[in-house]
Amino acid sequence: MRASQNWLGIGIAACLCGLSALPLSAAELQIFPTQVELSDAHARRQLVVSLDQSDVTRQATYTSTNPQVVKVDSRGFVTPLAAGSAEILVRFQSQELRVPTRIAALDDKRQIDFSNEIEPLLSRFGCNAGGCHGKASGQNGFKLSLFGFDTDFDYQALVQEGRGRRISQTASDRSLLLRKAAGQAPHGGGRRIEPGTEAYHLIQRWIEQGSPRSAATAARLVNIKMFPTERLMRTGAEQQLAVLATYSDDTVRDITAETQFASNLDPVAAVSEQGLVQCNGQTGEATVMARYMGQVAVFRALVPHGAPLAEIAGFAPKNYIDGLVAAKWKKLGLQPSAVCDDPTFLRRVTVDLCGRLPTPEEVRAFLADTSTDKRDKAVDRLLATADYPAYFAMRWGTILRNSNLAGSTQASYAFQNWIKDLIARNRPYDELVRGVIAAAGEWQDAPAINWYWQSRDDQLHQVTADTAQVFLGIRMQCARCHHHPYEKWGQEDYYGLAGFFTRLGRKSFGEPPPYFSAPRVTLGDRNPLTGQSPEPKYLGGDKATFTPEQDPRHGLVDWMVRPDNPYFTKVMVNRLWGHFLGRGLVDQIDDMRETNPPSNPELLDALAKDFRDHKFDMQHVIREIVTSRTYQLDSQPTDGNKYDQQNYARFYGRRLVAEVFHDAVTQATGSKARFDNMASSARAIDLPHEGFGSYFLDTFDRPRRVTGCECERSSNATLGQVLLLANSDEIENRISDGNGRIAALVKDKKTDTECIEELYLATLGRLPAPAEMTKTASYLTKFSGERQQALEDVLWSLLNSKEFMFNH
Amino acid sequence: MLDLFGSTVRTCDGVSRRNFLRVGALAAGGLTLADQLRLDAAAAETGGSTSKKAVIQVWLAGGPSHIDMYDLKPNAPAEFRGEFKEIDTNVSGIRISEHLPLQAKIFDKLAVVRSGTHTNAGHGMGSQWMLTGYQPTIEVNDNIYPACGSVVSRTKGANVAGMPAYVTLPRRLGLGNAAYLGASYNPFTPDDDPNQEGFKVRNLKLPGRVTEERLDRRRGLLTDLDTIRRDVDTKGDLLGLDKFYRDAMEMITNDRAVKAFNIQAEDPRLRDQYGRNDLGQSCLLARRLVESGVSYVTIQAGGGWDTHGDNFSQLKKNLLPKYDQAVAALVQDLNDRGLQNDVLVMTFGEFGRTPRINGGAGRDHWPGAMSVLYAGGGLRMGQMIGTTDARAEYPATKAASPGCLLSTMYHTLGIDYNQSFYDQGRRPLQILNEGRPIEELI
Repeated sequence: MRASQNWLGIGIAACLCGLSALPLSAAELQIFPTQVELSDAHARRQLVVSLDQSDVTRQATYTSTNPQVVKVDSRGFVTPLAAGSAEILVRFQSQELRVPTRIAALDDKRQIDFSNEIEPLLSRFGCNAGGCHGKASGQNGFKLSLFGFDTDFDYQALVQEGRGRRISQTASDRSLLLRKAAGQAPHGGGRRIEPGTEAYHLIQRWIEQGSPRSAATAARLVNIKMFPTERLMRTGAEQQLAVLATYSDDTVRDITAETQFASNLDPVAAVSEQGLVQCNGQTGEATVMARYMGQVAVFRALVPHGAPLAEIAGFAPKNYIDGLVAAKWKKLGLQPSAVCDDPTFLRRVTVDLCGRLPTPEEVRAFLADTSTDKRDKAVDRLLATADYPAYFAMRWGTILRNSNLAGSTQASYAFQNWIKDLIARNRPYDELVRGVIAAAGEWQDAPAINWYWQSRDDQLHQVTADTAQVFLGIRMQCARCHHHPYEKWGQEDYYGLAGFFTRLGRKSFGEPPPYFSAPRVTLGDRNPLTGQSPEPKYLGGDKATFTPEQDPRHGLVDWMVRPDNPYFTKVMVNRLWGHFLGRGLVDQIDDMRETNPPSNPELLDALAKDFRDHKFDMQHVIREIVTSRTYQLDSQPTDGNKYDQQNYARFYGRRLVAEVFHDAVTQATGSKARFDNMASSARAIDLPHEGFGSYFLDTFDRPRRVTGCECERSSNATLGQVLLLANSDEIENRISDGNGRIAALVKDKKTDTECIEELYLATLGRLPAPAEMTKTASYLTKFSGERQQALEDVLWSLLNSKEFMFNH
Repeated sequence: MLDLFGSTVRTCDGVSRRNFLRVGALAAGGLTLADQLRLDAAAAETGGSTSKKAVIQVWLAGGPSHIDMYDLKPNAPAEFRGEFKEIDTNVSGIRISEHLPLQAKIFDKLAVVRSGTHTNAGHGMGSQWMLTGYQPTIEVNDNIYPACGSVVSRTKGANVAGMPAYVTLPRRLGLGNAAYLGASYNPFTPDDDPNQEGFKVRNLKLPGRVTEERLDRRRGLLTDLDTIRRDVDTKGDLLGLDKFYRDAMEMITNDRAVKAFNIQAEDPRLRDQYGRNDLGQSCLLARRLVESGVSYVTIQAGGGWDTHGDNFSQLKKNLLPKYDQAVAALVQDLNDRGLQNDVLVMTFGEFGRTPRINGGAGRDHWPGAMSVLYAGGGLRMGQMIGTTDARAEYPATKAASPGCLLSTMYHTLGIDYNQSFYDQGRRPLQILNEGRPIEELI
């Protein structure tokens, strides 16, 4: 317990260990904190009252035994009034708790600290948000630093700019700052701070004190913590949060009223400005983030789908993945769908591994195979085909911006082949990463330099941002200009990472020109914090130094692949998991941060460990994933999991991506794609860059390779897509291609039944169900006079069926 | 160097009393984090606007020469002023290029902002800035930020159901896409030249081998076979596709869209007035489309505005006659039909051109000053707004940033350009992050 005098003169007598000590006994009323000790007129305390893990803060009643000393409102918010002692009586139903409260002498003359007390209000009330005075151009001549990360700048803006008219010490409530904020003078932002509130008074007091700068000795904010950090909740339930800030002089302050809260999933749990979480009706998990002066803390609301399960009936785990996923199901009361049937599995795994549909022959052979391990064998067989490296090289090429722009046509082929070769030989993942990040030489020898060349316009920043996002799963672009709004990363971190790339050398001939590591800094960009060239510093770690002979980029990769690197393996296994399961354990897959926690951290850790233990063997992890029962669940929801969107209790169906869908249409119709300057057998997944003209691919939104983000792929439907599929000469010509599938069926004089089976196998990868066979056969019979046309109609219908467009 | 967003030149982003009147966190642009998180959902539910107004944007790709069109400097030294003479318009005191005679005759129905300006002289980055309001930091071949038409499509949708909201003519526009708003808001395009005899919209008319009766049969069969459950995905893509199937079938079978695109139905004399070329006929087609419920049309036709060499003969022989005729005919036609308050016409490119003439009688890229034409949309016409310095290099008064130029358009459509959408990094981005409507116009 501390109650010593310090920068705020505040001591809080609630021990911080309360943060982790959740109430244990069943139906006993619990309160956080158990006692209150305040010694500053501006200090406040939020009480949190629970009964049996349920929050009753708003239902309980509060009485102060000494209303002259301390008052407490109906939501458990405590305000000190005068020195003295009191108790706060907390009543709920038949129970009563007493919170001993001591208010030390309140020092009205204490100096208000600008950076610790005024600046947070500018954030809390949105003054310095990106849409307002925080934007680069400011708002109506008044500019603040975005989210308040530059206290000196903001002090200057408030006190010294605007001819000093924003502050009026002699008549503080006439200060433009207060009049605008209170909506008493015309203000585009409307009324933000009500007169009479604590925030208003605080600003007023600070102005009356002569609006001093923050003292050089003022304590710095160290971290913020939230109470509680996780709760199992029911729909309709609520939870009051309390947020405590710890400062460099060890003082702790309740900042609940000055914190900004946000939920990542409102339909599950929303949060109010006062930190009251409310479960809205949808089951699942939501993360509530508290943000205060560059620090963040999270609260996790778990709203189970049903009562916790002791075991998952009928589910036989195949490997560690299944055990860890099932543990989560038990906790959340989720019942998984059944394991999918064989044809569904084969189509799914062929699409996900090879980027193509299974052929009718493959399906028939798989169905005929009676061995019990045939799914595992199918995975091995597919991983050994040339399609697996081709497809994954295409996916990597997309996020590594492999493009033919700026003379890179040949280099783009070379880069694609380089990736394909690494994947085909199942070289360890770190070899791929090192080959890209530390690429050096001419493109013929080191084709990965095209990654650098495609970022030539903004060389340093683009490769810094892409390195962070693609290989570390951290979106750092924000930190180039300002502290990341909800992550710990600031400009210092960003420019530390950039520091590994400042010696990037580039010859002045060739497209792409040779890249190399120069002995000294070549790029002119400056770290705005120092005014100097950025210096290398490991993310969240130490500064790095390199001799002129060393390539700092190798140093960066050495750090990445170290066993204790917290990002490198996780982002890759998360990427693979997201690829195969349709949603990353961290979603989005390359946005790993404290405020975006994984839905199943134990599974993410286990996958990362497995990947590392197997020396970055990509095929190993892929095999574990696709042979798991989890991957092989049916996509049809059941009553036990229909609301699940985060825990894989069923397979999440998704549309085939543009290139794969294009190839699926080609394959199903038995036609040819014909891309310029490519072999006639070339498919869309074989294209090395995005420059091949194709109305089909453009319409289905093939990525233009302009970001390192997997999210560049959109699954949104468009009118143009539907018109193309349902009503175009292009598709008609493919369906009726003289050398196509229908033509072959007619030529081979196949029976109606044989034709229907073949078309179902070629499109949906399965045989028709009896009802489908009946309907389709009767259609063929009805229009037997024009049989070829009728067969075309069947193929048209299958191509336009949603089952065909989806991997399910 | 012009400091666009600093204090060297004040842009139109001054103090606004109008903003003050619009209360509420969303309208005022002062978004807290929680506000921003709620916005996406709210915008999707309520849309941005209920007005039936529409925009026709004529995109002069390459960068039109402002000093030879709307901002002549007859008193500038010879190496700046160029060959062209000024002529009077039907608005007293306003003079424009002798090679825009048709527009001069109807200048009471036009307004030109001479003081448009930004700072990026690259085609790709300058285009993206002018088409989206955001300056990208890297030259790429697709949108990083959404084009205005996509924003309108997202916030307002089509004026009439069963019509696409956003159309580019005659083909896809390189930087006309929806970026993080999602592919659903990419433009629809006929992908064919309306000046061609056999012009038709790609995939709107039944393919040669398919009759309407056969399409009906197929749809019946599809209904029978398309039985996969609609809830096997988690993002609603399946339901989204169903909606687009209904819309598409509606477009194919209901003749509203087919009729709107049927430019052959126009009186040949009117077609002549617009000019028998791709720009003229695209303008005419655009008028037909907005009449039928399309809310945003972007036209990129003709091309050739990047006049590094032989600027003057290119302009007077080829570019300006077609452009003058097409825009004048469009504006006159809209006025004749009483649509001058409902349809806004805008013409501009990615930048202006260097006032100093280069060695090849050409002019190079120049973002320091550019002229932007507005017509209709209920805006105040018959005026020249803003001035440039003696050599038409930079604005002298009323500097108008891309955000000013585009917010004027959003304003006429009733779209709140302060509302935010998430980009792919979950960063909330306002439709425009700077600028406010040009006061003289609204």
